[in-house]
Amino acid sequence: MHSRFLGALALAAACAPLTATALQVTLPAETAVYVPSELPGYQLVQQNCLICHSAQYVLTQPRTLPRSYWQATVEKMSKAFGAPFPEQDSAAMVDYLSRTYGAERPAAAAP
Amino acid sequence: MEHDQAAEAHDATRRRLLKALGVAGASALAGAPAFSALAAGTQVTLPFDNGERDLLSFPQKRPMIVLTSRPPQLETPFSVFNQGLITPNDAFFVRYHWAALPTSIDPQAYRLKVGGKVGTPLELSLDEIKKLADPLEVVAVNQCSGNSRGHFQPRVNGGQLSNGAMGNARWTGVPLKALLDKAGVQAAARQVTFNGMDKPPLGNGPDFVKALDLDHALDGEVMLAWAMNGEDLPLLNGYPLRLVVPGYYGTYWVKHLDNIEVIDGEFDGFWMSKAYRIPDNACGCVPPGTAPEKTVPINRFSIRSFITSLQDGAQVPVGRATQVRGIAFDGGYGITEVEFSADDGASWQKAQLGKDLGRYSFREWTASFTPPRQGDYALKVRALNRIGQQQPLQAQWNPAGYLRNVVETTRVVAA
Repeated sequence: MHSRFLGALALAAACAPLTATALQVTLPAETAVYVPSELPGYQLVQQNCLICHSAQYVLTQPRTLPRSYWQATVEKMSKAFGAPFPEQDSAAMVDYLSRTYGAERPAAAAP
Repeated sequence: MEHDQAAEAHDATRRRLLKALGVAGASALAGAPAFSALAAGTQVTLPFDNGERDLLSFPQKRPMIVLTSRPPQLETPFSVFNQGLITPNDAFFVRYHWAALPTSIDPQAYRLKVGGKVGTPLELSLDEIKKLADPLEVVAVNQCSGNSRGHFQPRVNGGQLSNGAMGNARWTGVPLKALLDKAGVQAAARQVTFNGMDKPPLGNGPDFVKALDLDHALDGEVMLAWAMNGEDLPLLNGYPLRLVVPGYYGTYWVKHLDNIEVIDGEFDGFWMSKAYRIPDNACGCVPPGTAPEKTVPINRFSIRSFITSLQDGAQVPVGRATQVRGIAFDGGYGITEVEFSADDGASWQKAQLGKDLGRYSFREWTASFTPPRQGDYALKVRALNRIGQQQPLQAQWNPAGYLRNVVETTRVVAA
């Protein structure tokens, strides 16, 4: 769904009328992806986070961060930054993020 | 398995890049200048845990360290800082807050609006802005508030940058004062707010708007800039016009600037009242792991210096002089002295200062280092400025990961 969304954007950019003087750029397609998981939060993160930003925002965070950090961050995305996901998605998203990228991730499974 | 995945990812990248190039080719035929990604990247590892990053070329940029791709946040490879005091436009760092950034900008259609507590609201074209006053040129460092955040211990969340979210450029523009004088600031005015064309991708996010106190906005140094290093701003650095706030962190250097409001109170937007705040004390720091009681908006750069000619792990010859080179800068008071240590800070020697490009610029320094015997050496550098500010030997800490300016150490081996 996500790549189709980006593809549509690229198409729209290509078809947009241009004046001779406009400075036009095409940003490279993004390649970062969330780590696949059986946890239900994986699908929710793909729906709810990728709408606004690429996956590196999560992937590059220190791997020492506790569950409370991911809880606060998911809350901040909704309350401070206006992300439109339903509140009932939060618990599963926090669980996936904490167990995949945070202090609760299995040490051997370093991304 | 890991290798297969990497190869697969690489192929996917290549396919997408070719597709992107196809789109760029189409717009080039339409007669518009078009810039696109050119080279598939390799990877670099920044010197902290989880520091693996793609190195990728974005439009008008050489391969840069990718912190995030949407919106683009690109860090300058540190070796660039040893290639000259001026950071080339195609290597200058990029920082955005929201993904809905303009990717096609017509300078003929562009207008800057000025409103609020002014006598005459204005709507000016780029040509009209350029004629507001004689063009001004200043060499000034721009540095992200969170530059070097990845080096914080204990680690803090946020953009995990190494030391490359800074750059030094020659900016061309007109003083903001000329614009505000033309609009006529009302007596009740207290602050000026700045908004650019980049927007939240969905309606509800707080737009990125910054504010300066009126006296700062009118100081004649804050500038509306359309060029850096003699060329139009690259799109990702704020084309066609950005605010330049010499000595102040990049958060104030609003890109794609198209709206200025003069207000009679203190601006309470999210990016001033909730984000980009530092502890309200002299060091802007608190004991690690604690929260500040009171905060203020981040403002001037802390004083910093770096060795640029040697990286960690470099080899130097025993018994022969190595010229060590680097840069120093501060919040605009002016670097007066740089000291170099080859023994982990036990003793210090004065470095030679290079050409003075102005008090907002990187200042080059050089020092001679002759290792007397084989083995490991911890090289350090520290700067002093005109008002007596120095770098701390122990890293200071704050929860947002701002203001890092510890005396840096570069470990080399003499052989």
